[in-house]
Amino acid sequence: MSPQLIGGIGVCGLFSLLLIRVPIWAALILAGFLGNVALNGVGPALATLGTIPFDTASLYGLSVIPLFILTGSIASETGLSAELFKAARVILSGLRGGLSLATIGASACFGAVCGSSIATAATMTRIALREMRSAGYGDALSTGSIAAGGSLGILFPPSIILVIYGAIAEQSVPKLFAAGLIPGLVLTALYMIVALVVARIRPSDAPAVKSAGIRHRLSALTGPWQFMALFIVTIGGIYAGIFSPTEAASIGAFGAIMLGFVGRALTKQELVSSIESAVITSSALFMIIIGANLFSNFMVQTQLPALLANAAGSLALPRMMVMVAIIVAYIIMGCFLEGIGMMLITVPVFLPLIRQYGYDPIWFSIIVVIVIEVGLIHPPVGMNLFVIQAQAPEIKITSIYRGIVPFLAAPLIMIILMFLFPQLALWLPKMLYR
Amino acid sequence: MGMLGSRKQAVDARSRISVALERLQTAQLRLAMGALIVMIGVTVADVCLRYLLGKPIYGAYDIVESCLVVFVFHGIAAVFLNRRNIVIDLADSVVGHRMTTALIRLSDVLSVVLLSLLVWAMIAPAVQAFQYGDRKLELGLPVYILWIAALAGLLGTILCALGALIGRATTVSRQQSI
Repeated sequence: MSPQLIGGIGVCGLFSLLLIRVPIWAALILAGFLGNVALNGVGPALATLGTIPFDTASLYGLSVIPLFILTGSIASETGLSAELFKAARVILSGLRGGLSLATIGASACFGAVCGSSIATAATMTRIALREMRSAGYGDALSTGSIAAGGSLGILFPPSIILVIYGAIAEQSVPKLFAAGLIPGLVLTALYMIVALVVARIRPSDAPAVKSAGIRHRLSALTGPWQFMALFIVTIGGIYAGIFSPTEAASIGAFGAIMLGFVGRALTKQELVSSIESAVITSSALFMIIIGANLFSNFMVQTQLPALLANAAGSLALPRMMVMVAIIVAYIIMGCFLEGIGMMLITVPVFLPLIRQYGYDPIWFSIIVVIVIEVGLIHPPVGMNLFVIQAQAPEIKITSIYRGIVPFLAAPLIMIILMFLFPQLALWLPKMLYR
Repeated sequence: MGMLGSRKQAVDARSRISVALERLQTAQLRLAMGALIVMIGVTVADVCLRYLLGKPIYGAYDIVESCLVVFVFHGIAAVFLNRRNIVIDLADSVVGHRMTTALIRLSDVLSVVLLSLLVWAMIAPAVQAFQYGDRKLELGLPVYILWIAALAGLLGTILCALGALIGRATTVSRQQSI
């Protein structure tokens, strides 16, 4: 049996295991291990299986994962997001759809210290949904704004998904963080434009809120100073080359704890619960990363990606068509698969292909994150939609589905913009890390 | 009466096992939490001392790496006991409740088997690390100690995975994501 055929069987086997509810880590390890056995025999396969978990769990670069998750968890506990929403609400008051815009803006900012999409959506549901409903906003627009805004958490630095991509694709995390910033800002603007258009088309769903005075607006800017301090120190520190990602993440976590205690927004019990939650979430992620490394090791040996590239070459597919096919595959998979799992399964297969066709892996990372974002908000299984419904069970899921549909246009436009202007992702890393 | 008595004994034994596993999981979780706190503390102290006094902490890098090993291999025990592994639960809406339960059980068994396989596979490189005297570059800490910590964590995790296997097949934390 040829290595490529073994690789193909491995990929099919992996998806079959995932479909029958086998945990992602177990499916990756089983497919990777059995694939290695088929290629090299039991002895070498066991040797690989024995070393990869330890090597992965002692990678200094991956220590940012629990640290940033902890920062996000504490930021949620301490009401940082509430301050952000309060400020955005005042600044955008008087505008039809202003509360939707405030939700999206606050989500983007919160995502920039939290790095998690689910945490951002969950937090903003608690804070913004009640306010929007009491202001007379329709459920569809309210939940759509929260779900869309929540998805920004994985694009803005410190994105946990970009850290994991960096580990799998052997890319610099600071460069990936720099690459995510401008697309994050553009996508935020696109979501806001969608919210404004929806508010214009259905004004009854977005009543105008009384406008605040200039003085009030200016003073609102100082409200979320804690967010600004955390963002400037952590992400600013990475961009300026002062801190490594691990150092920035540690300082961020430490700073969030200190700000929480000083501001009396964090109790000892809440701190313990935040750390517990960070340990459990990060450990579950580490198991998947271990599995993905094993599977990736198997994939490299099968030369399946090279076969795919050759097949694309023999079909004389234009460069753009290959990329479009990959994006379509991601969007379809995103309707059914969980984001990180999808990325870890596919990047080892697609990345060599991407490189062969001359695409930049950093640019590709942002494309991957954007399509994962689509998966997070795309019916029927977008996680953000379920997070909102879990916290607001009185809202029908069909109403949430209806609300998110217009927002799906924004990431799709963003992908087109990324094709037309790759510098959106590549300019800042080049400027900062020449 | 006899049957009732033996059923009660079985329930008692089960609850004692549950309590023991809960304690084991809590101990491992606390260890992982401690490792995370040390990682934060050492890194923050290292940065402060480096920029303020020009004297970084020697071996800070090694300490973080070592703590990460403890963090990962002990933190996963809670993941398994509480069924917090990330799964694609599409099947739940297609197949019935009994089939879902059967699939969960299958995953539980597979988890125990794979974790055991991992432990088995990790013994050889752990022994090699001991025999060759591998050490951390800066601290000089023998690497086999970390292998022991990792293996101990995995053994505890296997027990917790067994606990999930003998417990109820729930889908409470069906899917988590970032």
